[in-house]
Amino acid sequence: MSDIPPTRPAPLDVRPVKQRIWRRLSLVWLVPVVALSVSLWAAWQNYLDRGTLITITFENAAGITASETVIKYRDVTIGAVESVEFAPGLSDLLVHARIDKTVAPYLDDDAQFWVVRPDVSVRGITGLDTVLSGVYIEGNWDTEADVAQYEFTGLEQPVLTRAGERGTHIVLRANDGGAVSAGAPVLHKGLEVGYLEKPELSFDGNQVVVSAFIESPYDRRITTSTRFWDTSGFSVSFGAGGVSLDVNSLASLIEGGIAFDTVVSGGQPIRDGHIFDIFPDRETARDSLFADPNAEVVKVAVLFAQSVSGLSKGSEVRFQGIRIGEVSELSAIVVGEGETADVRLQAVLSIEPNRLGMGAQATPEDAIALLSDFVIRGLRARMVTGNILSGSLVVELVQIEDALPAIMTFTSGAYPVIPTTQSQISDVAATAEGVLARINALPVEELMDGAIDLMDSLERLANDDATVAAPASLVALLDEARALVASDDIQAVPRDLRKTINDLDALIASAADADLVGDLDGALAVATAAAANVEAATRNLPAITAQIEALTAKANSLEFEALVTTATQTLASIDSLIGSDSAAALPGSLNGALDEMRVFLAEVRAGGAIENVNAALASANEAALAIEEAVSTLPALSAQAGRLVAQTEAVIESYSERSRFSAETLATMRDIQAAADAVSALSRAIQRNPNSLLTGR
Amino acid sequence: MQVFDLGSTGTTSGLITAREAGLVACQRCGQVHRQDVRLCTRCDGALISRDTDSLQKVWAWLIAGMIAFIPANIYPMLLTSTLVERSESTIVSGVIELIHHGSIGIAVIVFVASIMIPMGKFMAIIYLAISVQRKSGTNRHQRHKAYEIVEFIGRWSMIDVFVVAILSALVQLNTIATINPGIAAVSFALSVIFTMLSAQSFDARLIWDADRTTT
Repeated sequence: MSDIPPTRPAPLDVRPVKQRIWRRLSLVWLVPVVALSVSLWAAWQNYLDRGTLITITFENAAGITASETVIKYRDVTIGAVESVEFAPGLSDLLVHARIDKTVAPYLDDDAQFWVVRPDVSVRGITGLDTVLSGVYIEGNWDTEADVAQYEFTGLEQPVLTRAGERGTHIVLRANDGGAVSAGAPVLHKGLEVGYLEKPELSFDGNQVVVSAFIESPYDRRITTSTRFWDTSGFSVSFGAGGVSLDVNSLASLIEGGIAFDTVVSGGQPIRDGHIFDIFPDRETARDSLFADPNAEVVKVAVLFAQSVSGLSKGSEVRFQGIRIGEVSELSAIVVGEGETADVRLQAVLSIEPNRLGMGAQATPEDAIALLSDFVIRGLRARMVTGNILSGSLVVELVQIEDALPAIMTFTSGAYPVIPTTQSQISDVAATAEGVLARINALPVEELMDGAIDLMDSLERLANDDATVAAPASLVALLDEARALVASDDIQAVPRDLRKTINDLDALIASAADADLVGDLDGALAVATAAAANVEAATRNLPAITAQIEALTAKANSLEFEALVTTATQTLASIDSLIGSDSAAALPGSLNGALDEMRVFLAEVRAGGAIENVNAALASANEAALAIEEAVSTLPALSAQAGRLVAQTEAVIESYSERSRFSAETLATMRDIQAAADAVSALSRAIQRNPNSLLTGR
Repeated sequence: MQVFDLGSTGTTSGLITAREAGLVACQRCGQVHRQDVRLCTRCDGALISRDTDSLQKVWAWLIAGMIAFIPANIYPMLLTSTLVERSESTIVSGVIELIHHGSIGIAVIVFVASIMIPMGKFMAIIYLAISVQRKSGTNRHQRHKAYEIVEFIGRWSMIDVFVVAILSALVQLNTIATINPGIAAVSFALSVIFTMLSAQSFDARLIWDADRTTT
């Protein structure tokens, strides 16, 4: 074997082949390219889809967590909070959030945001889901895209009215915010048709203003004549109908509530933002319907000298019973100066001219002129009791017929002053007490006793012989007088006189200067007049009877048995009195008297002495005068009887209404007794001494 | 036959490569062939002395893996919805949360498995690729070991993805509690896969060629 060097493999040419760079590129490069492009595309997409960044300023961002808290619109998530930071000054919190691009254009200046938290109230529990899921931010805006905004101020309270919700916003004014709280219901005939927003103090601080939202279609029920009233709590009213307790829904009991109703038609439709007043209760609200709150009022003042306790601002002003306004102001003012200074209580009355029947175009000046005119004709203001239970007063303008002349004064103050008259204030307690006391004090038993006594007396009087005799004597007297006039004796008198004259002719002839004939003529004329008087007196008697009969009828109608029976007895007695014949003695007496006269004349004739005749004729003249006098008292007597009847009538009439009945009745009875006594005394006197009729003694 | 000095094993100075010996070994079954043989006589595998496209593939896969790694860390890995809250946690935020909860051990494990190892792999592969490109002759043994470690450990990075997958499958209690994988889970898996592919694309034999071509 030869030492040949081991063969080495031929050296390989391992030079890499230079290839063009594209040819050398591996397909694997596609992988990172694809990965990169996918990533970039995803990033780009992400960037494109990224929501619009908005900033919401909250005072309180409790529960808001960056990247967790979502933003919802109508319960759909439209975005999320990206970060929460403090505003410069640390007063507010800035919540940066991304909002879906499709929604962002709608976020214009009406967009509102608030944090939804669990809320437990009387009307229910809301936001319960946020207990577990955490709070979220709710947004509310309308569906019209306007100029997009990117900075908003978050609300502390959820808004109650969703933008785009159909209904009407109104503004309510109340004097007291106790009845209104945010979310309180607005009721219409018991249905909840709306709710109140958050109440606020009005600009001038005098009233509470709360805007309310009335849902469609109920808002169509609201017109300018709609009235709102407070239904919160419960009301207890005590009136003629008894006690009534009015309790509304539990929610309105606690949260308050407002109800409205449109009682009268004819109101104008309202627009958003119409202002209504809240009345304290339904009645007031209804009453106010007839008072246009915007109506022009005329203010007049009334100055009361006495206490106005019971009168208050808002008290009614009535004119002939109709409400025409109300008391708008009460104050004390000083009138006069120095020694005459006095404090008066001034009530300013707001009177609506149209309630006075004046037209709509009437100006306040017209109304003042009208009132002034009324005052001249007797219009006066006074306080009267409005409510007898509460003792509240109202001011009443009344027409006083016999009022002292007065005019409206324009000088004493800011308002024209209507003069006052005596007020009619009845304190209920005092009145009731007084009524009871007077009823108690009525002498009912004495009255009955007195009535029975009266009847007894009447009976006694009627049964009294003297009484029986009195009319009888009267009738007899009158009859006799008539008989006297008609008697032959009287007619014989001229004959006798003629005879006497004939007898005297000689005397006359013999004593021509004597004036006897004239004297006799005068005496005869007086006698004739006396007879006429007697006749006239007699004519009055039937009238007396009729009156007594009327009295009897009245007495009959009385329900008291004793009275009736006694009256019946009285009637019987009076009947028997009238029916008695004992008056027949009177003509006899007259006859006697005339006989005596004849005797007297005969004595004159027999005497023959001219002086005696003269004296006799003078005596006859006197006698005739006395007869005339006596007879002339008869009409007075009958008038007295008539008065008696009238008094008795009045007594009986007033029995049912006057407590003085007893006393008056007793007095009347005494009068009757006295009258009867007088009649009987007269008759007795006439019987005893008929001659006195002629002689005047 | 050339006698090789095996005494210098462990050093690089006297080493001869198969390529220098005109041989090529099958990458799958280890059968050695002559260089002109194209297919392995034992396993029919393609025989290639050096993969000239290796570095390209490494870079391509590596870049893809790194791209995928970005969303894996930005986007949430787990979407946890409970009755009370809904939370999304990325890898880093999860780690921080674990630290806040005091589970530092678990936090370390998650951090190492999800952040450190992928990052380390990127670094290692970049280093290897660059060193090969520069035909650096230093530290060949260390670099080879690093390559082997990278290739071995690569699959374990998937543990994160498995955890997410298992949790998602187990915790599906509807409204009470739900865990869903996020985009990051997919990205992370992709990143791991790309990195593994990158590591596999690396032809470790190139490490040993460096000084030969220069000298």
